[in-house]
Amino acid sequence: MLSSYLTLAAILFCIGLYGALVKRNAVVVLLSIELMLNAVNLNLVAFSKYGAVPSLTGQMFTLFTIAVAAAEAAVGIAVLIALFRARGTVNVDEFDEMRR
Amino acid sequence: MLADIPILSLITFSPLIGILVLLLLPKQNSRWLKVTAVTATLIPLALSLWLYADFDGTLGGKPYKESVTWVNAALNKETMPDIASYLFKFQYQMGIDGISLPLLLLTTIVAVMAALASVHVKKRWKAFYLWFLLLEIGMLGVFMARDVFLFFIFFELTLIPMFFLIGIWGFGGREKAANRFLIYNGIGSALMLLAFVMLVMTAGFRVDQVDQQTQHVYYSGSYEVIKDNLTDPDSFVNAAPESPLHMSDTMRWSIFILLLIAFGIKLPIFPFHTWMLRVHAEAHPAIVMIHSGVLLKMGAYGLLRFGVFLFPSQMRDWATVLAILGVINILYGAVLAFRQKEFKLVLAYSSISHMGIVLLGIASLNEIGLQGAMIQLVSHGLISALLFLIVGSLQERTGTTELGELGGLARSLPFMSGILLTAGMASLGLPGLSGFIGEFLSLLGLFDSMRVLTAVAVLGVILTAVYVLRSVLAITFGPMPERFGALRDARLVEAVPMIALLAFIILIGVYPSVLTEPMKHGFDALLQQLNVKVGG
Amino acid sequence: METVFTQYAWLIPLFPLAAFILLTSFGRSFKGLGVMVGSAASLASLVLALLVLFERMGEGVEDYQDGFKWLDLSTIQLNIGFEVTNLSALMLVIVTIVSLLVNVYSAGYMKSDERITVFYGYIALFTFSMLGLVLADNMLALYIFWELVGVCSFLLVGFWYQKPEARAAAKKAFIVTRIGDAGLLIAILLLFWYMPNHALDFVNIQNVFNEQTGTIAAGITTLIALLIFVGAVGKSGQFPLHVWLPDAMEGPTPISALIHAATMVAAGVYLVARTFDIFQASQAAMDVVAYVGAFTAIFAATIGVAQNDIKRILAFSTVSQLGYMMMALGLGSLTGGIFHLFTHAFFKALLFLGAGSVIHAVHTQNIHEMGGLGSRMRITAWTFGIGALALSGIPPLSGFWSKDAILNTALHENPVLFGVGVVAAFFTAFYMSRLFFLVFAGRPKGEKQAHDSSWTMTLPLIILAVLAVVTGFVETPWNNTLGTWLSGGTETTHTGGGLVMVISAAVGVLGIYLGWLMYVKGTIARDAVSSRMPWLLRLLERKYYIDELYQVVFVRGLRGLGLLLQAMDDFIIDGIVRCVGGAAVLLGRGGTRLQNGQVQTYGVITLLGLVILIVAIAGRRFW
Repeated sequence: MLSSYLTLAAILFCIGLYGALVKRNAVVVLLSIELMLNAVNLNLVAFSKYGAVPSLTGQMFTLFTIAVAAAEAAVGIAVLIALFRARGTVNVDEFDEMRR
Repeated sequence: MLADIPILSLITFSPLIGILVLLLLPKQNSRWLKVTAVTATLIPLALSLWLYADFDGTLGGKPYKESVTWVNAALNKETMPDIASYLFKFQYQMGIDGISLPLLLLTTIVAVMAALASVHVKKRWKAFYLWFLLLEIGMLGVFMARDVFLFFIFFELTLIPMFFLIGIWGFGGREKAANRFLIYNGIGSALMLLAFVMLVMTAGFRVDQVDQQTQHVYYSGSYEVIKDNLTDPDSFVNAAPESPLHMSDTMRWSIFILLLIAFGIKLPIFPFHTWMLRVHAEAHPAIVMIHSGVLLKMGAYGLLRFGVFLFPSQMRDWATVLAILGVINILYGAVLAFRQKEFKLVLAYSSISHMGIVLLGIASLNEIGLQGAMIQLVSHGLISALLFLIVGSLQERTGTTELGELGGLARSLPFMSGILLTAGMASLGLPGLSGFIGEFLSLLGLFDSMRVLTAVAVLGVILTAVYVLRSVLAITFGPMPERFGALRDARLVEAVPMIALLAFIILIGVYPSVLTEPMKHGFDALLQQLNVKVGG
Repeated sequence: METVFTQYAWLIPLFPLAAFILLTSFGRSFKGLGVMVGSAASLASLVLALLVLFERMGEGVEDYQDGFKWLDLSTIQLNIGFEVTNLSALMLVIVTIVSLLVNVYSAGYMKSDERITVFYGYIALFTFSMLGLVLADNMLALYIFWELVGVCSFLLVGFWYQKPEARAAAKKAFIVTRIGDAGLLIAILLLFWYMPNHALDFVNIQNVFNEQTGTIAAGITTLIALLIFVGAVGKSGQFPLHVWLPDAMEGPTPISALIHAATMVAAGVYLVARTFDIFQASQAAMDVVAYVGAFTAIFAATIGVAQNDIKRILAFSTVSQLGYMMMALGLGSLTGGIFHLFTHAFFKALLFLGAGSVIHAVHTQNIHEMGGLGSRMRITAWTFGIGALALSGIPPLSGFWSKDAILNTALHENPVLFGVGVVAAFFTAFYMSRLFFLVFAGRPKGEKQAHDSSWTMTLPLIILAVLAVVTGFVETPWNNTLGTWLSGGTETTHTGGGLVMVISAAVGVLGIYLGWLMYVKGTIARDAVSSRMPWLLRLLERKYYIDELYQVVFVRGLRGLGLLLQAMDDFIIDGIVRCVGGAAVLLGRGGTRLQNGQVQTYGVITLLGLVILIVAIAGRRFW
């Protein structure tokens, strides 16, 4: 039972990772990051139910993660909007200020 | 009475007086800057001569010791509640013995001569002499420091001024030469630092039992502590392998090899020699006098002081390796010196060749050879200083040091040519001049244990004659090109250091006891130890 | 017997040393100083040397030795001292006489040279070193002075430094003898470590090797002896290290007489004689000495036949005669060797100074450009003739007696070497007569009016001619003075009686007669041999191509090795350094490229790193 949850989480994580590393649109990248977070959440919940020592801690932790992820998404979108206003694009290739 | 004043520190830091005065002088006033700098180098010379006169070889230099606690870094002693203190302890510790003293004298002498030779410097005199005097402090400190970290600091203190002295006042390729110098020596210093840290953390351990209850435990950088620990069969590090403080053979070998490489770069031992060629060719001759005359000797000194004295048994196991390296140095340097078309490069390779003889002397591990190595150090310091002094004056006049363009200078510059010829003779080991004593004693010492290698090294003696004569005669003998007809012979300010250096070379050559007397008992403890190990 | 002057023998070398110091310090300002100071110092040395010699002629004189601690290490100490024996006393006198005469002679010969004081300084330094060598009481001290005479020879050969030939000759002289010196140095190292108590002094060496107690193994003894001989070979111009001596004739002629005929080149013979006990302890070493000597004697004599430079002929003759001395020593005749050294010093110095007088007059060294000088330069011709006869071994001149002593020994010890000696003697007589007749007989050539030189140059010639006549009588078949004196009465020469004398005198006369037929009478055409065998002439003229051989093997070899090592230095060692540097730069470049500011790229790299880490950790469980 546990393995199917984990497999699903792994697939989700990989999709998210792929998106985060490859996609050009910053919005899609943000979405992909959410996907990865949710893959982790899935793992946490799965282990809290079917793990060696079942307890509620995992589910509690998931709630926290969701809240943090929401906050992160909000900040991320805000940054994106600011960037879009300044540069007129949300293409991540255009943003290489860290190099300078 | 000398023992009552901190004479060692006075010698080391006496160039500071010069630095302070220089700082007050306007920087255009080259004449006064030069006078001040030369005077400032005379102070340590006078003091060290005084020290030499007062030195008693039989005492092993015991009275001259200065020690002040410098850094006490507390360590976490919670795990050991029953001790009073648990520290890292670095000391400002200076000392002198028969092995430091000749090199100290060499430094002060060469420094004066190099300061005099700096009359040819054309720009930024103030900065030049400031760096110069700083360099002298570093060199003096190296030979007297008795704490590994203090030694390291002085050692580094020579690098930085040297870097600028090469990089600013050299010839065409000076920046590159300075960079190479810094990189190679930086690597050497890094290895040395690593070795020192390993040394302190193992052999630097010391427990001072004040009374029944109070114990002071510390790691010390003091050379004495380390040496006692390493060489005393009853010490912590020589305890049974089960003891946590036992120092394994692997550790000893690692430190030994690190030190060998670190000082081997400085010496230089083949194949770490390429950096010094450029320095010889590109730096200002006055700086090369210091470099070839003193700085290279720091490598040999370090090898002796830390390699041989601290790790005699490792040294004994590797004596053959060292001797082979020495022979390679001798022959390799000689053959390549024979090929060079530029006089300064001939001298650079000849330095490599001569440092090979020092290695032979060290590898002999008997009194004759070690003394020979020491004399060779001093002698080569004086001779190469003299040679580069002449090179500087020659280049000033002819504008070149290419062998092919020079010739017949004995006609227009008889005095300088005579000195050059004599210096060349000293370099090839003519009896009556200092080079012979070092060479002969080193070979004599090594011959006891390694016959064939010594015989091969003697071949190097022939090759030395070949390249020295080839280059010196190319400059002084033969037909003289027209344009050299009007050259003026040495001025007084050039002639004085030439004669002085030559006088020292002849003095050592005719009466070597001036050097061997203070060194006489410098190696006693070491030899005793080597013998004990051999016997037991 | 109580000795007085012998105790002060150490003063003998110090006079010339003082002269040298004086001349180098003040010579430049006082032009005339050289002759005065140099001659005065030599005279002082000569007087003292003669006093010492006379003192040693008394009955039962002990060898006198004294010295001081030179280098005192806590385990060993090295001494420098002097020792007066009969041998060294004799050498002292030879050196000081020739030195004084050359000093006087040079006053005329070098008169117009502007560096004459420097010249005198060098001669004084040489005399000091040579006397020190003779007096040295141990191997180390001897080696020190041995090197010093070498350097003086170098300085004087290269005295006219502007000539490229002089520069090359000086360099060659120094380096070739240095090869021999390396052998001597190793011999000293061996002696030091094998001798009981590290003693290097001759007294102890004599004792140890005389006792035959096997203190030093036979193999080592042979090795030591051979290495010492290598040193002697270098200094005394024996084959195969003879090549420097003929070239050394580039130096001023008085120098050739002093250094390259009478004294320094004989130092090799002196060294072998001084360490004769080591050689006697090893038959193999003795054989080597004898054969090398004999070979050199005949080898150089044949070359001498085909040379055209007056000084070079004499130089090859010197090489040949030194070979004779070595042969005598190798055959066990110390007296024979030293006797020949003694007589040779005078007549060869005479020949060189005579040649100098000729060169001074005609300004050429080619004997074919000279001729008919006999009538114009009477003193020179007469004295030169006496020297040539002495060298050719015509009785009753000195050369005859000493050569006879050697041939006698050879006949007893080794008939083959006797034959070689006789043939060499024949060639010697032949080339000397060729030289003499070409230079002094026949019709004059050249425009210049040649005439005898000033008294400063002729007086030494006359004195030397007298010495060349009389010195032979110290050791004749009916008068065994020298042999008894030198060897303490154990050694006798001239035992062969009349036969050897007749043979040796006969070949001498024959050689001269042949020369007379060829170069005066013209009965035999001059090119009688060379027209039939031109290759032989060329071979002799080119000195058996030894120089060329060395040029190819050693000089080119060293150059090639240098090239190889230079390439190694530039490409391999520097290459490795460059590689390391380059690798660092490349790594940096790669790093810069990765830092493109794209977070996604960083992410990929992080991912890759993570994967590698996981694989590594996971992999460890399986490997």
